[in-house]
Amino acid sequence: MDLKCEDIWAGISDYLDGDLEPLQHLAMTEHIGQCKSCQAVLEGVRNVVSLYGNENLFAPAPGFQRRLRSWLTERVEGPKGSWWGWVAAIGLTAALAASLFLAVVRDHSNPLRAPMSDPARQTPQQLVAVVEAGKLFHQPGCPVIHGKFRLVTPEEALREGYTPCPRCLGEDLRTVEQVTKPVEVGENRDSLGVKESPKR
Amino acid sequence: MPDPLRTWEASVSDLTGVDRAASGAGEEKLLIQRIRAGESDLFYQLIRPYERRIYVIAFTIVRNQADAEDVVQEALLKAFTHLAQFRNEARFSTWLTQIAINEARMKLRKQHSSTLRPIDDQENDEGTYTPRNLMDWRDIPSESLERSEIRAKLIAALASLAHKYREVFVLRDVQHMTTEETADALGISTGLVKTRLLRARLMLRDLLADGFEGMFGKPAQFPKGTNPWT
Repeated sequence: MDLKCEDIWAGISDYLDGDLEPLQHLAMTEHIGQCKSCQAVLEGVRNVVSLYGNENLFAPAPGFQRRLRSWLTERVEGPKGSWWGWVAAIGLTAALAASLFLAVVRDHSNPLRAPMSDPARQTPQQLVAVVEAGKLFHQPGCPVIHGKFRLVTPEEALREGYTPCPRCLGEDLRTVEQVTKPVEVGENRDSLGVKESPKR
Repeated sequence: MPDPLRTWEASVSDLTGVDRAASGAGEEKLLIQRIRAGESDLFYQLIRPYERRIYVIAFTIVRNQADAEDVVQEALLKAFTHLAQFRNEARFSTWLTQIAINEARMKLRKQHSSTLRPIDDQENDEGTYTPRNLMDWRDIPSESLERSEIRAKLIAALASLAHKYREVFVLRDVQHMTTEETADALGISTGLVKTRLLRARLMLRDLLADGFEGMFGKPAQFPKGTNPWT
């Protein structure tokens, strides 16, 4: 097979890749062996293929893999991550709400304020004694009563802004403290018809 | 009692590359199924073997590192969102390569539309390419790639080719894809892949012929009337 240089140039890729029929391959080998310039073409192309086939030639910028992974994680795994995030957030909120609830309950069972500072929530059944200049109402005969007193119903005493005496009406107050249900003080007051202390 | 010959054959078969490749493809299919079923955290595991390939393809098309990284990210995100459309009869790597090429072309198109320059020259694939006439070729050794200026020169030479040649050259000679895979990925015939590859190789050879220190380029001498370059 008589080949020209142009035939070699046209077939040089297939020759290198081993894509030629054996006879054609042999004919090209013979021509290249005798033609310096075609040999230079073959060697040049072979060198090009070898150089560009080196994986280090196109190394990405440092940190490429880390950046890519983080970018993908954020976008691809993001929906799953945020679902877990929502679960965690809901759980945390529930835990906070529960601890707040317990704190309120505890606050009501162990008040920091003195018992007499709270208005009475459970009133005695009999008439109580009030002194005009005082702030408490008492059971008649209480040693704390000083001066002239008058007898009124507990409801009247509460309406007028008196609070129960912790000494003689302590039992009523203790009964009140055993109530553990967290209720709004204002709401409770309203239900009992309690008004704010009168400004005297 | 197991047949010893069959056991031996099985163990030999386990060591063949064909079996390993088949096993890899099987694992890949399984991964794809699991990701489609909602295990999106496995996606990185799926694309990890190809991230470098996708980067190189993107880089050789858009010709700068930052844009190439953008292309890789967008291509992989697109692959994830369209994974349901991937059909198992195609190779995942080829499908991913197609997406990366399209993303890179789109990026290039956007850049060129803003500068009102054509994306590529309209060089004809028809006709023969005449390589430079050289007396000899002195190899550029692979070790020289450690020198950054050599790498820059090689990258610049590749970047100077029209993108239709670059794409074929990168898939075939940089990514070592077969002619058929390259044709599939680019949506062109195998004949066109071969034509463009030949031209890309010859053009690169000519671009690098002067070497890096003027060591090449001595023209060949022919007896009168026999010079094929004239």
